[in-house]
Amino acid sequence: MNWSNVRLIFVRELRDQLRDRRTLFMVAVLPMFLYPVLGVGMVHMTLLFSEQPRTVVVLGRANLPQEPPLLDENGFVPSWFAMAGQAEQLRVVDDQSTLAEAGSQTESAREARELIRAAQRVETAFFELQKLEQQLRSGLQQSSEDAGQGAANADVAELSKLAEQVAQRRTAIGRLFAKTPVQVLIIFPDGFGENIERVNRDIRDGKQTQADYERPVIVHNSADDKSMIAYDRIKKAIAAWEEKILVRRLEKLDLPQTLATPVNPASADLAEDEQKAANMWSKLFPALLIIMAVTGAFYPAIDLGAGEKERGTMETLLICPASRREIVMGKFLTVMVFSMSTAILNLLSMGITGRHMHSLAGGALSKLGDLSLPTAASLLWLVVLLVPLAAVLSALCLALATFARSIKEGQYYLTPLLMVTLGVTMFCLSPAIEISPESDSSWFYSVMPVMGVALLLKAFLLSPANPAELYPYAIPVLVTSVGYSLLALWWAIEQFSREEILFREADSFDLRLWVRHLLRDKEPTPSFTEAGFCFILIMLLQFVAMKYLMNAIGGSGDGLAMMKLLITQQAVIIFCPAMLMGIMLTTNVAKTFSLSRPRLGMLGLAVVLSCCLHPLSLELQHRLSWFFPELKPQIVEVIGAMSDTDQSLWLVLLAFALAPAICEEVAFRGFIFSGFRRRHKLWPAIALSSLAFGIIHMVPQQVFNASLLGIVLALILVRGGSLFCCIAFHFVFNALAVMHGRFGSETVISGPLSWFVSNRDGQLNYEAPTLSIAALVASLLLLRLIRWDSVAADEGQPVAALSTLAGVTGETPVRVGSDRS
Amino acid sequence: MIQVEGLGKDFEDLRRGSVSALTDISFCVKPGEIVGLLGPNGAGKTTCLRILSTVLRPTAGRATIDGYDVLEQSEQVRKRIGFMSTNTGIYDRMTAWEMVEYFGRLYGVEEDCLQSRIDNIFTTLQMHEIRDLLGAKMSTGMKQKVSIARTIVHDPPVLIFDEPTSGLDVLVARKLLQAIEALKHQGKCIIFSTHIMREVEKLCDRIAVLHRGRILAMGSVDDLESEYDEPDMEELFFDLIQRFEDNHRAEPAIP
Repeated sequence: MNWSNVRLIFVRELRDQLRDRRTLFMVAVLPMFLYPVLGVGMVHMTLLFSEQPRTVVVLGRANLPQEPPLLDENGFVPSWFAMAGQAEQLRVVDDQSTLAEAGSQTESAREARELIRAAQRVETAFFELQKLEQQLRSGLQQSSEDAGQGAANADVAELSKLAEQVAQRRTAIGRLFAKTPVQVLIIFPDGFGENIERVNRDIRDGKQTQADYERPVIVHNSADDKSMIAYDRIKKAIAAWEEKILVRRLEKLDLPQTLATPVNPASADLAEDEQKAANMWSKLFPALLIIMAVTGAFYPAIDLGAGEKERGTMETLLICPASRREIVMGKFLTVMVFSMSTAILNLLSMGITGRHMHSLAGGALSKLGDLSLPTAASLLWLVVLLVPLAAVLSALCLALATFARSIKEGQYYLTPLLMVTLGVTMFCLSPAIEISPESDSSWFYSVMPVMGVALLLKAFLLSPANPAELYPYAIPVLVTSVGYSLLALWWAIEQFSREEILFREADSFDLRLWVRHLLRDKEPTPSFTEAGFCFILIMLLQFVAMKYLMNAIGGSGDGLAMMKLLITQQAVIIFCPAMLMGIMLTTNVAKTFSLSRPRLGMLGLAVVLSCCLHPLSLELQHRLSWFFPELKPQIVEVIGAMSDTDQSLWLVLLAFALAPAICEEVAFRGFIFSGFRRRHKLWPAIALSSLAFGIIHMVPQQVFNASLLGIVLALILVRGGSLFCCIAFHFVFNALAVMHGRFGSETVISGPLSWFVSNRDGQLNYEAPTLSIAALVASLLLLRLIRWDSVAADEGQPVAALSTLAGVTGETPVRVGSDRS
Repeated sequence: MIQVEGLGKDFEDLRRGSVSALTDISFCVKPGEIVGLLGPNGAGKTTCLRILSTVLRPTAGRATIDGYDVLEQSEQVRKRIGFMSTNTGIYDRMTAWEMVEYFGRLYGVEEDCLQSRIDNIFTTLQMHEIRDLLGAKMSTGMKQKVSIARTIVHDPPVLIFDEPTSGLDVLVARKLLQAIEALKHQGKCIIFSTHIMREVEKLCDRIAVLHRGRILAMGSVDDLESEYDEPDMEELFFDLIQRFEDNHRAEPAIP
């Protein structure tokens, strides 16, 4: 790669974007103005909102007890409220003082009279409703008693009519209340105060007392925010007032005041101020960083990819001596710069605004927590981790944008990416998902794209006591991020290398034409797209079926039914789509699925290799168990069924070995691999098909294992030219796993055999000599496989390319027949 | 300098399946010569020129430029050609000078002679008044001038013009053709496609008549006129195409 070309293209694109008003707006203007404006707006809203007093009408003020006073002449007595100023926010209008001013003609007195009248209407209606409800309750009780005695149920119709009436009345009162400007109505019943004082007296005198009197009612509307806020405050104030009444009674009895609150736990918050702030930012920053990084990459990527096509400058660029790789690299760096600067500018502006708002509004925003910025070290990590994050997202955006034919199409393709990243962000916000030395799944999360970066950043921003503990996780995060970026870049370069880059001009897509084209212009083997579609179809079917499978497995506990289900699932979800697509979309089914007679040599190699890889794979799985998250119980149950001795062996072998061997091989080595391989180089095709094979296994452990096996299986297919060798390998491998689970625990090991195998934790364990022999034989066989002169040569595959890949130079590839040493 | 042997190109098309855009094209262009590709719309002119400029890969035959294969040594080829067409875009947010300078650097022109070279080109093409004008504000004629300047900034031995005059008014088109003629006198090897007879008659040393991806006739204007005994180039062109259509209609199936 010529870096001076990359630099030239980079500088040009950068200047071009900086001259673009839209980009500048998105990257610089928006963050600089949006957050301050939003912040100021929010402060104003908070201040305005809290200044509006709510109207509370009190009916029956005369019925309140004299001591302690709930109301004074200005409304509620402020001492009942937890926070100063809350009493003033409730404007109290009561019937007593309004009546006293009956003659007054001032504006406020007239308004107060109006309010009282409206409140009284509500009160009347409310008491009527209460009466009706009482009727209904007693009616219902009566009828249930009648039913218990077996008597005829005569007045059901009457009751339901009553119930209907109650519902109607309730709606009517609701509407009536909503029409009044009253937010909360408090009704103190007649004799309420006297009752309280009577009980007080009785307690003081040590007499038997009767506390079953009519209680006050607070009418409010929980669907109305204003009413709810006022109601919450009044309820707390009345609770405080009530507690005071109770405390006075206790005092009179010479009992301790704490009797009223027997539990009352003390709450202790040990968070330091820095941590409080950190907590706030650790939630916000990683999420914002991802969203801003992808937003920043969005528009430049579309402009640099699809935009260049749309403006017709693509051809000029492609004809200049810069290679496609240099062009993509220059464009990628530009997108990345914008992605990073958008993220940094947005976070900076937001942080500064937050701080400023905090100092401005003070207590009003204290609910949000301290908004001072996190420590310098965490901010440094923020910038460092932004680099891999922006790289992955920029490369993806660019690849998608290059695939698009026009700017509009680019926006359509990139929007799903935006949504997926938003989903990932939401996922990362969950407190249960974290990277930390205590968490089991940290290593697993750290290799996940985008997520790893976000979680690591979250961990650093939580200002941990010992940040050094997190450093090891930075390695997998950075390494995999670089890997993902390279993969996306490779895809973008592929896009640029296609001839269609010039012709994918916006023509309309006609489904009928396309289907006709598929069925008419068949080729011997499937195309890349068809193979990809087959994989996605299998994934979707698997996803849809998973729910039912899980239910069936979890519910039944019936081993036999589960086996049947597994076999059916394999046949319907994996075998059928691939086989049908093969028959419909290709002209040569035998070639597509490599259904030729296997050669004995390769068949033998496959079986031996399978036997050697079995202990190695088990050992690897065991060694890597710390890396993967724990298995779900349902999956453990399915795997456990493999060693279920209640089932007959042949059935278990059929369900776990033969069915997967045939179905998965037909789909993955048959249809999908031959499609990937048709127009692509061998090794990318192998890698891609193995990855697809891994992904379909869903469970992370198995995804990893199956991906590795996928490479071996694809090699066996390429070198052996027959799918049957793959089926043999797959069958033997799975069958050994079944046997290992089934008989491993029972076998008693003694004598020299214990050198090779042992029985540990109820499992058969392969010892070092076995493992090293297996490893030796396996690597010899694998080497042999890589160097094998394939039958693919007959199909026009470049053998020279294969042998150079295997590191063989100037050596004639070995033929099967000549190699019997 | 340009050597084309048995070139063919097939495209996949949703409606028609595999479509042959070029079939068995062979010709050569020597330095100091202008060869015109004459043909109606959709004859395969652009496809042919895009293969020569390495953007498309041929499906049959081979083509070399300056001895370099367009398929195998595409980077060497790209260094030695200047390609221009009406729809090769001009960047909207770059000035004329920046654009020519940018491509000069991409083509690896030495920095010390780049500025004087651009200055020369701007003088020859009378472009100094638009040197700081952004692409978005240029008229079609100005854009065409910038395109030419960009095409010749690295002094390539081979120049490819794909319908450079389409969409231009007579005045600008004439100036452009004069510029191309001047380039020929500098010893450049030029291939030029158009569907306008008069341009071909005036400018080209030899003509290839292209129709349906095939060369129907090739030679100088005089040779062709005497060979087919038709003094008018336009009539000759119609005649050739008509004859081809008649011949192929007689055949039952066109592949």
